[in-house]
Amino acid sequence: MPTVRLRDAEEYPEPARRAFELSKRWFNHDFPVPPAMSRVMAWDPGFGNPHGRAMKRAMGPGEFTRGEKEMVAAAVSGANACAY
Amino acid sequence: MGGDALWYEAAQVVGITNALNVVADGLGGVMAPVKVTGASPEVAAVFDEIRSFYGGTPDIPGPFALAAHDPAYLADLWAAARHAYDDNCLPRRLKAALAFAVSLTTRSAFGTGFHLAEMRRLGVGERGVMEIVGVTQMFSSYTKIADTLQLEPDMGDIAPVDPTPAPAPGAG
Repeated sequence: MPTVRLRDAEEYPEPARRAFELSKRWFNHDFPVPPAMSRVMAWDPGFGNPHGRAMKRAMGPGEFTRGEKEMVAAAVSGANACAY
Repeated sequence: MGGDALWYEAAQVVGITNALNVVADGLGGVMAPVKVTGASPEVAAVFDEIRSFYGGTPDIPGPFALAAHDPAYLADLWAAARHAYDDNCLPRRLKAALAFAVSLTTRSAFGTGFHLAEMRRLGVGERGVMEIVGVTQMFSSYTKIADTLQLEPDMGDIAPVDPTPAPAPGAG
């Protein structure tokens, strides 16, 4: 069970709700509820916004494709023993 | 990236990378490796394969030189490692990147240096290296945030299920 109460999308201000819609495009998936991590990162835009930009910059296509980078991210998550 | 075969290969790379790193980082300073000169014919044959696979390097990577104290074990360890790192569904270049990311994440001095050198040897430029560093760093952040807040997985169903059966022995 999460340590914090994860707020519903409606409890966030408008800029965060717009970001939740954009995340559907990023993941190419129509989430019925924004993912928990998206809601966590939207809690404090002073941290979440630059962290999210850094993530998108790191994950964008370059020498490696987005798909290849998702696989690297999965391997890193596994090495960190993170089930999320 | 679709299809379970890709993910099985990635898991093999992660597993064998960790296995090699554990030995290299743990035993490298306390156990002498088997040297090329004076190696038994059985070990020398495996060493030749290893050197060839890694671009003709004169040095045998530490974990294999340590494993060579038991030639039969070395042969099987190398066979598994070669299978995992060789081109298959995933290219060697990406496998080197996966191994580098896992080594960096697990703070393996051996693995980080070795697989960084392999990435570069296989043609990954500095931009590509920094891309893998960035992904590793960002997901080392996300994972710890998720763990600290004890978030439950909620993104597992965004990927399609692969309905194909297990491959026949010898396939691939």
